[in-house]
Amino acid sequence: MKLEGTHELEATRERVYQSLVNPDVLQRCIPGCQRLERTGENTFAATIRAGVGSIKGVFDGNVRLEDLREPDHFRIVVDGKGPPGFLKGAGDLDLQQEGAITKVKYAGDVQVGGTIAGVGQRMIQGTAKMMAVQFFTCLGAEAKVAPGEPPPKQGFFRNALRWFSGWLKSLFRR
Amino acid sequence: MIPAAFDYKAPATLEEAVSLLAGDPDGAKVLAGGHSLIPAMKLRLAQPQLLVDIARIKSLSYIREEGNQILIGATTTHYELESSDLLKRICPLLPACAATIGDVQVRNKGTIGGSIAHSDPAGDWPAAVLALDADLVLVGPNGERTVKATDFFIDLLTTDLQPGEILREIRIAKPSGRFGQAYQKVPHPASGFAVVGVAVHLSLNDDGSCKSAQIGVTGVGTKAYRAEGVETALAGKSLDEQTIAAAAAHVCDGVDPNADLYASSDYRCHLAQIHTKRAIQAAKA
Amino acid sequence: MPNNYVGQRVRRTEDPRLIKGLAHYVDDIALPGTLHVAFVRSVYAHAKINSVDTSAALATPGVVAVYTGKDVAGKIGPVPCASALPGLKVPDHRVMATDKVYFVGHPIAAVVATDRYAARDAVDLVAVDYEDLPVVTDVEAAAAGGTVIHESFGDNIAYKMTAGEGDIEAAFAAAERTLKQRILHKRLAPIAMEPRGVLARYFPGEEELTLWSSTQIPHLMRTQVALMIGFPENKLRVITPEVGGGFGSKLNVYAEEALLSWISMQLNKPVKWIETRRENILATIHGRGQVGDIEVAFKNDGTITGLRYNVFADLGAYHQLLTPAIPTLTGLMLSGAYKIPAIQINITGCFTNKMATDAYRGAGRPEATYVVERAMDLVAADLGADPAEIRRRNFPRKDEFPFHTATGLDYDSGDYEAALDKAQEIIGYKQLREQQKQARDEGRLMGIGVSTYVEICALGPSQAMPAGGWESATVRIEPTGKVTVLTGASPHGQGQETSFAQIVADELGISINDITVIHGDTGVVQYGIGTFGSRATAVGGTAVFVAVQKLKEKAEKIAGHILQAEAGRLSFEGGKYSLAKAAAAGAAGESEPVYPVGEGPAGALPEPQTEGRTSLTIQEVALAAHIAKELPPDTEPGLSATYFFEPKNFTFPFGTHIAVVEVDRETGDIKFLRYVAVDDCGKVINPMLVDGQVHGGIVQSIGQAMYEEVVYDEQGQLITGTLMDYALPRAKHIPNFELDRTETPSPVNPLGVKGVGEAGTIGSTPAIVGAIVDALAPFGVKHLDMPIKPEDVWRVINDDSRSV
Repeated sequence: MKLEGTHELEATRERVYQSLVNPDVLQRCIPGCQRLERTGENTFAATIRAGVGSIKGVFDGNVRLEDLREPDHFRIVVDGKGPPGFLKGAGDLDLQQEGAITKVKYAGDVQVGGTIAGVGQRMIQGTAKMMAVQFFTCLGAEAKVAPGEPPPKQGFFRNALRWFSGWLKSLFRR
Repeated sequence: MIPAAFDYKAPATLEEAVSLLAGDPDGAKVLAGGHSLIPAMKLRLAQPQLLVDIARIKSLSYIREEGNQILIGATTTHYELESSDLLKRICPLLPACAATIGDVQVRNKGTIGGSIAHSDPAGDWPAAVLALDADLVLVGPNGERTVKATDFFIDLLTTDLQPGEILREIRIAKPSGRFGQAYQKVPHPASGFAVVGVAVHLSLNDDGSCKSAQIGVTGVGTKAYRAEGVETALAGKSLDEQTIAAAAAHVCDGVDPNADLYASSDYRCHLAQIHTKRAIQAAKA
Repeated sequence: MPNNYVGQRVRRTEDPRLIKGLAHYVDDIALPGTLHVAFVRSVYAHAKINSVDTSAALATPGVVAVYTGKDVAGKIGPVPCASALPGLKVPDHRVMATDKVYFVGHPIAAVVATDRYAARDAVDLVAVDYEDLPVVTDVEAAAAGGTVIHESFGDNIAYKMTAGEGDIEAAFAAAERTLKQRILHKRLAPIAMEPRGVLARYFPGEEELTLWSSTQIPHLMRTQVALMIGFPENKLRVITPEVGGGFGSKLNVYAEEALLSWISMQLNKPVKWIETRRENILATIHGRGQVGDIEVAFKNDGTITGLRYNVFADLGAYHQLLTPAIPTLTGLMLSGAYKIPAIQINITGCFTNKMATDAYRGAGRPEATYVVERAMDLVAADLGADPAEIRRRNFPRKDEFPFHTATGLDYDSGDYEAALDKAQEIIGYKQLREQQKQARDEGRLMGIGVSTYVEICALGPSQAMPAGGWESATVRIEPTGKVTVLTGASPHGQGQETSFAQIVADELGISINDITVIHGDTGVVQYGIGTFGSRATAVGGTAVFVAVQKLKEKAEKIAGHILQAEAGRLSFEGGKYSLAKAAAAGAAGESEPVYPVGEGPAGALPEPQTEGRTSLTIQEVALAAHIAKELPPDTEPGLSATYFFEPKNFTFPFGTHIAVVEVDRETGDIKFLRYVAVDDCGKVINPMLVDGQVHGGIVQSIGQAMYEEVVYDEQGQLITGTLMDYALPRAKHIPNFELDRTETPSPVNPLGVKGVGEAGTIGSTPAIVGAIVDALAPFGVKHLDMPIKPEDVWRVINDDSRSV
């Protein structure tokens, strides 16, 4: 399945890039991410409660960042396994500065296997897009904050995301 | 096809149901007709720890005319809506939509509230309640609140229902004056869900021209939506073939049509246009 | 013999128990202490298994054992493949994966627990460490190179085969015209209403094993499972309880059957596995799966001079019982209903990372009929001729039978023109074409599709079959006059309990209610081959019929002796043997008292009152045969006969189907206007059963033509995993059928029966596709691949490059 899109974030390219490769930011912004631990220079182990509506499951997996060319490009490779199935994906992210806005263009390929592949075909694309939107919305808020400062607490996006992720959590099993 | 273990409670009142949900916000899930939830559980894609069965709360199932409103209890089944003489008389879009859902067995279990709360991107009720500009009454630990259907459907399987809340009633303004309604659906040959579904409510002038239009569309995007482009193109116009066709062409505006094994996005959009046209023609007749 | 039953629409004796829900399917059999099995199945299409950790599963309450592929590999033999094609590569496919998985659904471990819920829960706790490998899904790519699934073979080609007679090169070289068309047969899932199920029970004291399985071949399975687990065949009993449909998917020996038998022996407990619908779509064999080119050489007048089919067969990752053989059946039927002097099939059978394909209603013959019929339509279109006329021009004449084809077969009998005439008459073909012209003038898209098919069934002469093509029957009359028929056929919805009883009732002149037909129990029924290939009546019914004749010979001998009849002076009528003068008296209205069997003092079986009798009922003869006081010399007591019928040929049912459709210009929706089917299955025993078979076959054809497709993505994930995506036709998708018949008896068996179980599926698909393509003819469309969906039609209509 191809996953591509562009998001505009109100921050500089440098700030956006740093947020994207910052495990704390990633852990806060990847929807359902409960744990993201560094396991190597650019590799992480993660546990993600992913899903939408009442459909969800816990995935254990790895995230690897490659091809890092700050501040304009990197590649992210993920794989995860859980009872609902497995996923493997890789994507290229390109950042372009346009005035005060950074355009993040992502283009990736995700393979899905197991139960979700067998029964959820019509919803996979929509779910992936939704998670991408949530991720970049959160990232947009994070990128506005200077590094070292506490993560955004106020602000519309943060509040929206807080009830969003709280709602998502309320539907999760564990 | 065997679900993970779960607990089951069948409260007698809505208040009890709300407090059961509040007691286990992580793991409790409302069960009504179960025809979306139970398949997900059997596939182990959903693993709630506690099912709170509200289908047995008799007071949640009703179809009433009160003043200039139609009140529908959330656990009213599709079959009850399909066969309501009252609705056939005063708001035929509802029975028309109900009759297209699944099959007779499914319609005797599935509920309008469940369908709306679940917000399947191809579910029929969301399109109908959007076209009727319904209000949805939610009950939760903090009391009751009313949300417009047009604000309720947020994204794929995602609604404004907060943790611990239960949808208890659907309120529709009783159509008045001259009006026309229709529901056109292309059923998926395997699942019966809407490949596209178009619900139309037309307010008509005395001369038969369109005063205003409300078009609810399902199956096309990740959630049901109002096709405002179509509505604007019809408002105040005479409902001749050209106007209808031109208006219907806007049905996918602003939406990225779904693509799946059965239909590509441009065919899906095309079907939406054709069936919007047909629904409008059926409604004005 | 006057027919009271044969030829009548007798209601099925099977139905009351089925309709009332009183039948016993595998899952209805409840044995105390039964343990339940759930499988861990691969989620990858191609991967190495680094490890399987069953510790968490074993620690789950209720779990009794967990077996992995390694635990059983040395103990249970490979899943059998009965095809012995020259040069065939047969992977050593064990009941569960050991170090590699090669299709999604490949079983890796079996969890055994005290209830099915615990078993299913524990499946989630088995941790499999996979290392995924590149996946092969496209059959042509699999043949061309790249990743090899079974490394020791060096490539993914299981076999190549060329067959056919006549000088095909010369035919094409000399042809006035030729054409070529690429044709796809997508994979289909048989989806019997009852998924598979197995219950195995080992008695350690008696050292006996009973295996209940939802199968079509109980005896063959017994032999195979005995070999697989190293168990004496004569102590293994296989029982088929009620089977809820098979369609060829249960004509097989599956891993689960041997594995559950073995597990039961390890645990000394009954062990049960019931397939879920998801497993059924994933890990029960698929049908079809061919990608090929059909080439036709023909004259300007439409006479076909040569036909060649080059095909890649998507066999899947390993062979089930008949996997490689199915495309060879396609080759056999490439002559279709026509005289084609030169025919060739070139098959490349390839491995792919998917479930194995095997027999599914038609098993290779729908593919043949489809490509031949599409070819005829293409020839007609090329010549601007009527498709029915082109077909007629190429038919063998009625008097040219037995008709030898360039595929090496001898068609038994046929009158293809009569069936076509009848179908055209019923549908009003000429007027229909005129209506079509008018519709086209009005811009409406109406299409007419004709299919004149022949199919090969009543499998078959043992020389041509992997494990015997005969069928067995025992007919006996019990002392009380009740009749027991034991048939080696294994009906699973076809209704032979009724139709065989009809045959026997007429032959013995008794009531159908006094006959019971027993099947599907290797402990009771003599060895049989089973039910598949539309063979039950033609082969199994013939065995019953001949057994009854043998029985009657003996009964006549006994009756003649008791009645002291002179040679040739004994008649048999209405279930009664009578001396000639008594027969005459009977005809004159006089009658003789009969002493009904069983009406003696309670519990006593009275001896037949034979003093001074001039007639005896067959029941009285049966009693006399058991009491054995008045038997002729050199006559064994008892009244029973067994016959194993070896057919000398296959049989060839045929017919004409005509479909009329209209497509919606705006949406591409396809609507049936009419559907006519004239089928010839030879002599008809029960017209209602025949109609039912034709109905079912047409429905499955509609499924293939318009709705069904098993879809694997490029990673080998099965994405049509449930009936939410795999579209089986429903009642609302089916038109009313107008059915009729011609009856051309088959000379192959004394009943004159050909068989009809698969004919509908074979004959119907090309008519439907032909009609849709015909509807789109104004757009220059020659061919569309199945399933043809509304979007496919819409794209044709809206393709700017085509003229409207």
